[in-house]
Amino acid sequence: MSQSLINKKRFGFISFDSVRSFGASLICILIGLLIGFLIMLFSSFSIDGADPISGLAYLFSGPFTALDPLQDFGNMIFYTVPLIFTSLSVAIAYKTGLFNIGAPGQFLMGTMAGLLIALGINSVGNPVQGVFVWILAIVAGGVAGMLWGLIPGFLKVFFGINEVIVTIMTNWIAANVFTWVFSLDGLKGMVNTASGKTGYLITTSLTGNSTPDLGLGALTHNSYLDIGIFLAIIVAVLIWLLLNKTTIGFSMRACGLNKFSARYAGINDKWNIVLAMAIAGALAGFAGVSYYLHAGIEIQYQSVYQKLPDYGFSGIAGAFLANCNPIGCIFAALFIRYINASGTNLVSVGYNRYFADIIIAVIIYLAGFTSFFKNLLKIHHKNSVNSQPGGKAKVPLPDDSKPETEKPQKGEIR
Amino acid sequence: MEQGPQYVIEMRDIVKDFPGIRANDHITLKLRKGEIHALLGENGAGKSTLMSVLFGMYQPDEGSIYKDGEKVIIRSPNDATALHIGMVHQHFKLVECFTVLDNIILGDEDSKGGWIKKKASKKKCLDLMRKYGLDVSLDSLVSDISVGMQQRAEILKMLYRDNDILIFDEPTAVLTPQEIENLMKTMKAMAKEGKSILFISHKLNEIMEVSDTCTVLRKGKYIGTVATKDTDAAKLAEMMVGHEVHFTVDKSPSKPKDVVLSVADLCVKNPFSHKETVKDVSFKVRAGEIVCIAGIEGNGQTELVNAITGLEPVKRGTITLSGADITDKSIRERIKGGMSHIPEDRQKYGLVLDYNIEQNFVIEQYREEKFAKRGWIKFSARKAYSDELISRYDVRSSQGSRTITRSMSGGNQQKVIVGRELDKEHSLLIAVQPTRGLDVGAVEDIHKKIIADRDAGRAVLLVSLEIDEVMNLADRILVIYEGEIVGSLDPKKVTIPELGLYMAGAKRMTINGDIITNSKKSSRSLGGDR
Repeated sequence: MSQSLINKKRFGFISFDSVRSFGASLICILIGLLIGFLIMLFSSFSIDGADPISGLAYLFSGPFTALDPLQDFGNMIFYTVPLIFTSLSVAIAYKTGLFNIGAPGQFLMGTMAGLLIALGINSVGNPVQGVFVWILAIVAGGVAGMLWGLIPGFLKVFFGINEVIVTIMTNWIAANVFTWVFSLDGLKGMVNTASGKTGYLITTSLTGNSTPDLGLGALTHNSYLDIGIFLAIIVAVLIWLLLNKTTIGFSMRACGLNKFSARYAGINDKWNIVLAMAIAGALAGFAGVSYYLHAGIEIQYQSVYQKLPDYGFSGIAGAFLANCNPIGCIFAALFIRYINASGTNLVSVGYNRYFADIIIAVIIYLAGFTSFFKNLLKIHHKNSVNSQPGGKAKVPLPDDSKPETEKPQKGEIR
Repeated sequence: MEQGPQYVIEMRDIVKDFPGIRANDHITLKLRKGEIHALLGENGAGKSTLMSVLFGMYQPDEGSIYKDGEKVIIRSPNDATALHIGMVHQHFKLVECFTVLDNIILGDEDSKGGWIKKKASKKKCLDLMRKYGLDVSLDSLVSDISVGMQQRAEILKMLYRDNDILIFDEPTAVLTPQEIENLMKTMKAMAKEGKSILFISHKLNEIMEVSDTCTVLRKGKYIGTVATKDTDAAKLAEMMVGHEVHFTVDKSPSKPKDVVLSVADLCVKNPFSHKETVKDVSFKVRAGEIVCIAGIEGNGQTELVNAITGLEPVKRGTITLSGADITDKSIRERIKGGMSHIPEDRQKYGLVLDYNIEQNFVIEQYREEKFAKRGWIKFSARKAYSDELISRYDVRSSQGSRTITRSMSGGNQQKVIVGRELDKEHSLLIAVQPTRGLDVGAVEDIHKKIIADRDAGRAVLLVSLEIDEVMNLADRILVIYEGEIVGSLDPKKVTIPELGLYMAGAKRMTINGDIITNSKKSSRSLGGDR
């Protein structure tokens, strides 16, 4: 039987605590949609033919109101995969008390390593080799991300430099390294010279090392859907197991919650910081390869140094919307992409697609308030149980913000 | 009772609830002009809550406050300041990198065209210092002055704002006996000038000495108000705890055996100020004895314990545990070597507050075979262990092993730590302030457990600031003063006043046991840096 480590009475494997977390995330989403609606409502006065009601309906229906809902749905799932990985990256670091702003850089380093392998080896006509090269590229992406994540980890452990400051800089270093590496003369073969575009790399479809899709793409009207989603789900479950069921996770979370008591108890907090950054880096690296190894995705390497990949930063949003729960990251990422998928459809009712981004931004902003909403739910819960005298259910008590250390003992059961 | 402006402050029937607990239960407090009114009660009796209500930090759930006979509502400390109510908090509220003068005028600056005018302020401060005998160096940075002077700066801050109702929250806890004496003088001088003083304390002798009236609280309830001259310490103690107080614990004479902990020439350096906080400390603790480090707070106890437990690096010297040199060993190795540690700060070090009881019980042993198999946690074994410890150490909580420790009372949090440290296999117990903030019952319980641990053949190193605790538990007392061990005393032979002289640095032993009385040193410690 699954055991929630956190606390509270459990219903099967779902604890009250996770119900509350879920409820809190739901409140964020609803308020975000409401604000989004208000923005659409007010802007409809200045946009000819804008229709806020259908706009809201489009938002709710995500990809399903598109011209080809099935294809849009497949694409939505595909775009969710890297977001799950970067959310997990931010989440596991945060559980250990670190703020991994470095996901974009780790993402790029993973992409770079993966593409060097997947574009460097030609497996056309040899599908078995293609699969092996693909696996190799995935692993290389993870390792590269991990090494890039270790930089801030080591700097924090040995010199006490804040990981946020370091990762902001390593992000840009990674972006510049990326453009520089693919500009090297020796790698001319990887640059796409055929289609008349400039600055693009060839895609894995040309080398036969692309992510297998097992017919999923065809099934969804030629969407980008491939097996990445299964990998992401498996990895999310593994991370959840690591955090909640193993001694490693126990010590990582102890460091995240209180590094002083962790240290006092003989837990090596330095080792845990390094480990967390390594895992976080690897996850962000996986995000990069899960995206760019797809046969149809191309990257304009020449402009990489100008802008950090969105996926890196959206991972922060995904992680916090999920309250840093690895399983929650799957749903948070799905949700973000779901709203995003409606963006293109908004055009048909007079809004441009950036409205979807505004709403996502509002929801993410509100995600900062999840603990506030969670406490709100606690109070309501307490009241509702108190109103049933003699109710046997153990109540999740308000762990009011101030621990009452110096209070008398008479009210033990609080 | 009479009503009206004969009282400067009247708090009537104050009720303040916190989730699950009534911190103040219909408490009435009446303060006359020019009196020193002590508020006595154990930790957790509700004294600080009541004062926080008066100072506007909490809103009372019931009851009302009258100033000079008029009803007032104090919503924030700003309201309190406007009513000329000032407070010296237990933990000072000073900006460390500002000078004392800047701290005093902060929030009440005299300015002209955006420029702060300090001259007049400084003159006012100097006048006040002269009037009340406060020795403060106005131009020093707060970080450079002693705790005693910081407190005087806080007092000056209140006086500068022309406050005439002054609240002191346990002001003597951090002071040397001489500083306490001076504080008392200042308080009396202020009362004479017509200031009214509320003085929170649980130290009976101080209350007897300085106060005119004393209000006693117990477990949130109002017990009574007495004139100090009509009562004595024993009566007050009885009012405070509700029954006659036995200050001693039964304990058989110790039978020391082999040396378990040996500390030799230990020096610890503060990484920031580069001052030596522990200087050439050497001592031994044997199995079956309780050695107590006594001293006034801030004399190097914390640093000494941190060095022994591995939380802080050692500059020089060696630490040996059961024959093995552990000076440079990791904390985990020390724990495995048989060290148990009840830390001074139970919330910062002792517990991961957001972990539940079960997780906190195994936080040092989670990797051991008992609780993990190939890196996977054995949940049922852990739960069983936790349930057993909960019943054995009488930890009370709402949800058993799954209770988040943050939601528990301080006493029960401490029980979790004590249970964990005593149940773990160990040969040395280091207990730092193990009963801080606990009520009398819990204190007695923990004392018994520590003595039982000694009788089971463990070496115990106890660090305490409470003289009573030291005298009760110790088989041998080592006095620490400014980072040095200045005396090794037998609790059966030494008297409390004599111990006090050692703690204040007025008396010290040399290596060969000679006693030096150093009156100069004690006077220097008055205003000097620690």
